[in-house]
Amino acid sequence: MLESPARLAVAVSQRIYYKAGHYNEEMIMRFAIPKRAAQLLGAALVTLALDVIAADPIKIGVSGPFTGGSSPMGLSMRDGVRLATDEINKAGGVLGRQIQLIERDDEAKNERGVQIAQELINKEQVVADVGFINTGVSLASQRFYEEAKIPVINNVSTGSLVTKQFLPPEFPDNYIFRTSANDTIQSGMIVDEAVTKRKFTKVAILADSTNYGQLGREDLERALKAKGITPVAVEKFNIKDTDMTSQLLKAKAAGAQIILTYAIGPELAQIANGMAKLGWKVPMVGSWTLSMANFIDNAGANSEGARMPQTFIQEPNTPKRKAFIEAYLKAYHPANGRITSPVSAAQGYDSMYLLAAAIKQAGSTDGPKVRAALENLTQKVEGVVTNYNKPYSHDNHEAISANIPVMGEVSGGHVVYAYEEDRKNPLHTK
Amino acid sequence: MDILLQLLMSGVALGMIYAVIAFGYQSTFATSGTLNFGQGEALMLGAMVGLSLSGDIMGGPYVNYWLMVPLVLLFGALQGALVEFVGVRPAIKTKSEFGWIMSTIALGIIFRNVAENVWGRDDLPFPSPLPTTPIHLFGANVLPMELMVVVGAILMMALVEFFNRRSIYGKAVVATSSDRDAAGLMGINTGLVITFSYALSSMSAAFAGVLIAPITLTGASMGAVLGLKAFAVAIIGGLTSGLGVIVGGLLLGVAETTTGFYVSTGYKDVPGLVLLLLVLAIKPSGLFGKTTIKKV
Repeated sequence: MLESPARLAVAVSQRIYYKAGHYNEEMIMRFAIPKRAAQLLGAALVTLALDVIAADPIKIGVSGPFTGGSSPMGLSMRDGVRLATDEINKAGGVLGRQIQLIERDDEAKNERGVQIAQELINKEQVVADVGFINTGVSLASQRFYEEAKIPVINNVSTGSLVTKQFLPPEFPDNYIFRTSANDTIQSGMIVDEAVTKRKFTKVAILADSTNYGQLGREDLERALKAKGITPVAVEKFNIKDTDMTSQLLKAKAAGAQIILTYAIGPELAQIANGMAKLGWKVPMVGSWTLSMANFIDNAGANSEGARMPQTFIQEPNTPKRKAFIEAYLKAYHPANGRITSPVSAAQGYDSMYLLAAAIKQAGSTDGPKVRAALENLTQKVEGVVTNYNKPYSHDNHEAISANIPVMGEVSGGHVVYAYEEDRKNPLHTK
Repeated sequence: MDILLQLLMSGVALGMIYAVIAFGYQSTFATSGTLNFGQGEALMLGAMVGLSLSGDIMGGPYVNYWLMVPLVLLFGALQGALVEFVGVRPAIKTKSEFGWIMSTIALGIIFRNVAENVWGRDDLPFPSPLPTTPIHLFGANVLPMELMVVVGAILMMALVEFFNRRSIYGKAVVATSSDRDAAGLMGINTGLVITFSYALSSMSAAFAGVLIAPITLTGASMGAVLGLKAFAVAIIGGLTSGLGVIVGGLLLGVAETTTGFYVSTGYKDVPGLVLLLLVLAIKPSGLFGKTTIKKV
């Protein structure tokens, strides 16, 4: 396997240089090549080879689930990243070099994520990695990037712990960044919507049994406690469960006025459909996954009115968003002109622009320099989700603050703004 | 009281789904002493083919739901015969004790991968042929489709039972299941009977697939959990008893919904599995199974 012709050229020329300069003088003499000329030839070859290397693409890893239940998010994220990369490359790339994406499917499995991290770091020698949809995969894989001092931008994973795995004093520098709204922010917004805005006091929590669901449930309980509320029912279910009767009946029997959810699309659809079956209709508010196409499609009319925090809603209410939506639809033709997971696509797109800006500022692809540049980004980056003005600092690796996400609502099979004033006043910055 | 009734009804609907799939395990075990571990995948294929015919995912709908059902049954029968021919027949011929286990599991995985490539990996909605508004029945809510699952399951099992008892071909099946060698000596083509039992088994799974798809979701991985739970049902009820799978299915279904409500939804799968362990420890042939003595 030839990694690249340039590297081979370096190896060959270094060999010539070495032989000519120090090692096998008699041999050189025998072939009657003047020593000095041989040295010059070798040196020239080295410079030539280095020039070729300089034009080598910058390799950036993209890891996420491109197959399986989380794939709608993974694929939208990947397409967002691809779109940004194409635009950057067409505009001349970064540091005069093109960006090359090394895409890998982690299948939403922790162990696949670990394998991919090692492959991307050791074999592909990526400069940075963007991606991760599943909190569990993030937590399992990031350690390798941290050890290799290679920056990672999580563009979809929301677990509160994701950016807080490697903190000082144990780890002087944290290489893990994020462009999505974490669960602390989301659970706060969900509780705010249910308790403060809509004045419900009896809430039930329904969460799946995965890392995502259970960590989210803890965040929700914490946020409720801060408002002095104990949920009347906290229920759990497994991925692929088809019957939610007992969970819903418990919530109903406890007198719940609203259901808060932390789960993914298909099971959320079973909850909505189960409520319709029981003839019990209370509002559903939950984490951003209520915007997933496989929730909306599978629950059909029962998904109407469900609300969730969103960093981006497919609505061209800023020039940047308009351009992004048009370019995305033109490049990938999603069914019915609806981006499968708009949030993932937008966050993926922004993560690549932030990374490119940092590499440009660092003037190098060296991991620690890129990290330092991300932590002190002087260039303002106009993104789809928000405008990034110093999004990160050494101690804060969250680009999205609590004021940026808005409430979305399912209406007519699409996610729209729940509050008109958010639509009119689209851009919030950190 | 209303709540208990609702739980029982949902449990019965769920249990009948398990029973139909478990019924498929039974039909092949009776004739050949082997099981098709790809039963969950046969169910998934039935649902996916049904969705392709009567849904709009493959440029359809080509036929309506009711016309689609016989086509899916035919597909299921062919698929089952294929499993028998490729995976089971060689194992039976070489008198391999465990070859069929691996080959039916392997075929199941292949079918799932093929389905993932043909239909994608996402869960899809299956348009319901009946209204989706629930009916009030003795103070509890039931979906019309759930009633159809129960009725369809009982009808199918009754038909098979009728076929076995009344028709000459059915008698061949019964003869093969009671003593394969003797049946062979009496001029019954036992190989064909075994192929037929596999066709019947996958056919019942495919039928279960199109019955339950409108109330669950349709996707390449829909069969995995159901296939496993139905296997537990077949063990609890007994692999040789038709009544056993129905009772076993109802027990497991009702145990799941009631434990979910009265104990905790986190433990809802536990009682069923405890029951499975108890049955295996006390009456390994199942609640309604006949104990057979294997003479060596």
